Amino acid sequence: MTTAVFAPSRLEARARLVLPGLLLVVLALLPTAGLTPNLIRLLFITFVWVTASLGWNLLGGFTGQVSFGFAVFYGLGAYTAALMIDRGVNPYLSFLGAALIPALASFFIGLPTFRLRGPYFAIATIGVSEATRVIMNNLAITGGASGFRIVEHRPFRQVDHYYTALAMAALAVAVSFLIQHSKFGMGLRAIKQDEEAAADLGVNPYAYKLAIHAVAAALTGMAGGVFARYAAFIYPQGVFSFQTSVYILLMPVIGGIGTVWGAVLGGVVFGMVEEQLVANFPQIHLLLYGSLLILIILAEPDGLAGLLGKLFRRLRTPR
Amino acid sequence: MTFVDFLNLLIAALLLAGIYAVMSVGMTVIYGVMKIVNLAHAGFMMMGAYFAYELYQRLHLDPILAALLAFPFFFLVGVAVHWLLVRWLPHSDRPTLQSLLLMFGLWLVLQNIGYLIWGNTDRSILSPRTLALVHLGPIIISSLRLVVFVAAAGCMAVLEIALSRTWFGRSVRALIQNRYAGRIVGVDDEKTARLTFGMGIAFAGVAGALLATLYSFDPDFGRPFLLRAFVIIVLGGLESVSGVALGALILALVETFSILFVPASYQPAISFALLVVVLVVLPGGIAGLWAKRRRLA
Repeated sequence: MTTAVFAPSRLEARARLVLPGLLLVVLALLPTAGLTPNLIRLLFITFVWVTASLGWNLLGGFTGQVSFGFAVFYGLGAYTAALMIDRGVNPYLSFLGAALIPALASFFIGLPTFRLRGPYFAIATIGVSEATRVIMNNLAITGGASGFRIVEHRPFRQVDHYYTALAMAALAVAVSFLIQHSKFGMGLRAIKQDEEAAADLGVNPYAYKLAIHAVAAALTGMAGGVFARYAAFIYPQGVFSFQTSVYILLMPVIGGIGTVWGAVLGGVVFGMVEEQLVANFPQIHLLLYGSLLILIILAEPDGLAGLLGKLFRRLRTPR
Repeated sequence: MTFVDFLNLLIAALLLAGIYAVMSVGMTVIYGVMKIVNLAHAGFMMMGAYFAYELYQRLHLDPILAALLAFPFFFLVGVAVHWLLVRWLPHSDRPTLQSLLLMFGLWLVLQNIGYLIWGNTDRSILSPRTLALVHLGPIIISSLRLVVFVAAAGCMAVLEIALSRTWFGRSVRALIQNRYAGRIVGVDDEKTARLTFGMGIAFAGVAGALLATLYSFDPDFGRPFLLRAFVIIVLGGLESVSGVALGALILALVETFSILFVPASYQPAISFALLVVVLVVLPGGIAGLWAKRRRLA
């Protein structure tokens, strides 16, 4: 605290650059510290969720367009990667496909639905998501209700999966920060605050939304692809389920909607809690998520990040 | 398809439209007065279904009577939920992210309560009426569906009278038209909102109980019907009660006649496809189309 007295802003700016780098290094070294496979798996899942959370946050948090349909992208990414790997394509190349196909799909969804505002858009995304799930469940290529097993002709190394997911999550954080600090990101915030005013200032809301939707879809799809390769078995009622959409939406809201670290925090908390919950209290996990959502909306709309920020400020300002 | 087949389908669609209207109108009044998209509607529909189920199983009450009893019960539940949660939301004349997410959280909680109490096995209400048929010459009507339709039409009629003849109804209509002007002329918007929320939930409960007599249900029961309700109120223009009746009729017709063209496994996608088409082509609903015509004329 004593250093903060004479150079608070510069120190904070430096910490903002150094700390994430430090975090990345620590996470990269973790597997060498002899973690149990179960712990590595937990971290892997958490990175996947963090990536999806950051993806949703770009559209829902930065731009204020709530979508209940991100399972579409997650599922498309999962299936794109699965089908490509199954045909012998290099898995890392398949993740690229898992980003591109959902991004492409996002245009088909966004072109009609972004003509709608607010709740109409949110409602339309539920429709899109349900229709997609029904169609995917009936297509032969997805394996239908019996699912799709991914056969990869190379040895399974858990650490590979870990580093892939870590790199992906880091990429998602970087992309989020780049967008946040760009002119494009400022336009998105303007749309969130007042769409008409943003349009008057020369921001094209329709084009901006389409663009950020594509980026969000790419990140979410890649998360789905990375998950699919690890799981080696996916089925439409799982990856395309409404539940998946709910989870992807819940994370940034829990963590702190509209901020990068909030979305990361939400993904981490969710990833950890989800694992423990499903293991220990499978029968009340919806109840906990629901109550948490209600509590956060009514008591602390800025989420856990907002709560932490408040605590931090209270600690720092002497009374 | 013969003419009789056509008539049979037409009647089936009409009877379906009645229950669809009851299921959607609760969302409409809540949206109209409070600008809240009530996603928890699905949860209360599910609760209504189990309400009728329990009354039927334990007290051997007629399921239709149980559905009517659901009205006062869920009205009180709705008022309590408003008092506990909804009134703390910031007021807005536009739907907010917060209200959407709050109701969504409530839905998750209700769903989980359903799973805790009743588990995830499918339940159904089998009364002597379930399989009875009425023959009108060559036309065959399920008598259960007929009774459900009559109950639903009765509910809609009561609502229409309440909205057009009572002080409460006048307040509701005033707030739907213009919240601020309503307050200026002395409408108690807090009280009206509370009663409206109670009424909206009451309709969800009744609709759930009526649907429970027709379909089997589990704690995720409300979701497909929630999406249908969306389609209907969007067709009807979100805030108009007569629009809801029309929207319900259109959806029921489309769903019923689509069985001729669309394979059964794709049936669940129909209402959602319709939703997206309607949202894109007619964002103001059918009522919006009329309003546009009127403005042009």
